[in-house]
Amino acid sequence: MNRLIAFLFFMGLGALPGWAYAKLTVVTTTQDGAAIVQAIGGEHVQVRSLTLGTRDPHFAEATPSMIRQVYQADLLVLIGADIEIGWLPPLLETARNGRVLPGAPGYLDLSASVTLLDRPSGPVSRAQGDVHARGNPHYWLDPRNGLRMAQAIAARLGEIDPAHAVDYGARLAVFRQEMERRLPAWQVQLAALKGKPVIAYHKSFVYLADAFGFRIVAEVEPKPGIPPNAAHLQRLVETIREQQIGVLIMEPYYERRSAEYLVRETGVKLAVLPQSVGAQPRISTYFELFDAIAAAFKAAGVAP
Amino acid sequence: MQRVIYSSALALALLAGQPAMAANDELEQLREEVRALAERLKRAEARLQQADAATAANVVPPTPAVEAPARANPAAFNIGLSALFSAGGSSATDAQLGGLQAGAHDPNRNGFTVQNVELSIGGAIDPYLDGQANLIFQIDRDGETVVELEEAFLATRALPYGLQIKAGQYFTEFGRHNPQHPHTWAFVDQPVVLSRFFGGDGLRSQGARAAWLTPLPWYSELTLGAQNASGETVTSFLSSPGEEVGGYTLINRGGSRKAKDLLWSGRWLNGADLSNTLSANLGFSALVGPNASGTDTDTRIAGLDLYMKWRPLVNERGFPFVAWQTEWLARDYQTPDGTLKDRGGYTQVLWGFQPRWVGGLRLESAYGKGSDGTDPLRDQRKRYAANLSYYPTEFSKLRLQYNRDLAEHLPGHTANSLWLQYEFNLGAHSAHKF
Repeated sequence: MNRLIAFLFFMGLGALPGWAYAKLTVVTTTQDGAAIVQAIGGEHVQVRSLTLGTRDPHFAEATPSMIRQVYQADLLVLIGADIEIGWLPPLLETARNGRVLPGAPGYLDLSASVTLLDRPSGPVSRAQGDVHARGNPHYWLDPRNGLRMAQAIAARLGEIDPAHAVDYGARLAVFRQEMERRLPAWQVQLAALKGKPVIAYHKSFVYLADAFGFRIVAEVEPKPGIPPNAAHLQRLVETIREQQIGVLIMEPYYERRSAEYLVRETGVKLAVLPQSVGAQPRISTYFELFDAIAAAFKAAGVAP
Repeated sequence: MQRVIYSSALALALLAGQPAMAANDELEQLREEVRALAERLKRAEARLQQADAATAANVVPPTPAVEAPARANPAAFNIGLSALFSAGGSSATDAQLGGLQAGAHDPNRNGFTVQNVELSIGGAIDPYLDGQANLIFQIDRDGETVVELEEAFLATRALPYGLQIKAGQYFTEFGRHNPQHPHTWAFVDQPVVLSRFFGGDGLRSQGARAAWLTPLPWYSELTLGAQNASGETVTSFLSSPGEEVGGYTLINRGGSRKAKDLLWSGRWLNGADLSNTLSANLGFSALVGPNASGTDTDTRIAGLDLYMKWRPLVNERGFPFVAWQTEWLARDYQTPDGTLKDRGGYTQVLWGFQPRWVGGLRLESAYGKGSDGTDPLRDQRKRYAANLSYYPTEFSKLRLQYNRDLAEHLPGHTANSLWLQYEFNLGAHSAHKF
């Protein structure tokens, strides 16, 4: 009897890694991607994000633990449009995982599933600051793009793991229903912003503006990635007054001094918006991100 | 509509689960049917999705057509140029600076120095290999332009079992500092002990190495390599005939005919995230190879390196951060008359206290046991350095560094130096390596 128990015990031990490996290992570059993969993949996937939503994904570093995660991945899901340009190429060079190299089924660049805004039309150079030749990479801030990302993820998961394709399709339908239910509610919550001029710290909210109908007429940064100096702030004070800009929006991770100066000088309302899943402790799903954005506008006194 | 999917799936599952004890032909036929069914199911699902999209069109527009990627040229590769200059002066004379700042890419004369202009070309060669070449242009102390093939190597892209092979001319992966290129250094000069053991240009040579990512539950990589032991960039080993090490003039021991004529290197690198804000690397490195002080003399070098970096959860452009890096190296250099034992190390802290600004502090020590104190590469030596760097963007840098040198071989035993370094990077985006 004891032998039988011992045998079963060791059989059980043997099966443990088997169960773990039966799940599809998905690695995403941001928590937004991870949240959507989790929503679509459910119990069939084990998903981890390489970066945290509290940090700017442009400025991550290829750490050894990230190399290990990419090495083990069956699917790598990235935001693309060069947002990970500083760290994903060196990561892929060292991770020696053919399943997730560009062109392989395990490499999913979500930027191909949406229409990018801010595509530069003329010649670009770094003299214009941190410009993205393929277009603005912050597209996950339009909830409609979230659904497109979910579609791309469901299609790819089904391709890699056909045994559960039906489940992925079903979860996508649930995701879509949830989006159809929530999007009109967010639109009502942010109706006060419609058509209004807004100033943003960084060029990262163009998709949010597109989704909810407000206009971003100026940025606190004189050029993308270049912090403002006193002269530029002075010009912004005039712009805010002339165009009667009521709201300044920014990510939580940028310096607040410039924004606070503009608030003092012009009375513009400051809304610090979580820009990603994970940016604040209670944002763990893609839908909670927009709930939190709506709440941040409300807290700033911009939306009722 | 969803019910249709589920009932089809159920039918499919039942069909697939039928006892398939029939002959192989029959089994194959069944499989064929299952495949056909799956295909139909897929199409039905696609139609369902389209229908879904149509009803929701007023809320969420359909996915746009996929656009062609911007970079469509498969022959395109990354090309970058980084240029590093310095200006400054020291209480030591130009001749003394040669011993104090023994790195070939250190600022090593009063006035202006072109420390390093590096052309880097790299990219995917084919589905199996990546290639990289780094060419160095420099203007030396005599005003002569020097061109060096610093590195040119291929590396496998996706070998199984976590293996990667690299072959060509490359920096030996010993410790943390040796494989780093001058534009990524945190100080204007390389650590004293590295100049002593690995010469002015760092330890690099022709060879091949294999690296294995072990299945341990943390990042743990074992690297084993063999390189030629001769040449001016293999200082502690065969080096070049006529050079001097510890008072011995190096002889010509001939080519590499046996395995023991090569330089063998090993490294075990471990890395882990200790928390969401703290990451660490711990590495052990070793080198064994022949040296040319005699006909049958060997050199052994061992090294320990530790790197820790802290970044708070909320982080603007990678700032603030604190990074601590320490290396300790030991060299046993056999000569016909006994073994020269040299030791040395450094510890440095970088503090990125606000976006664009980094302050640095480095303490160094190096000594050769039994040295008479006249050899600038074996004497008792300490160096304290403090610097402040300003990064306008990721692509340029301005750095001011103060060095306080305590060196036995100098007439007054001390020297003070002040260096201003400036840098630009063109082309390919610089890699954010940990």
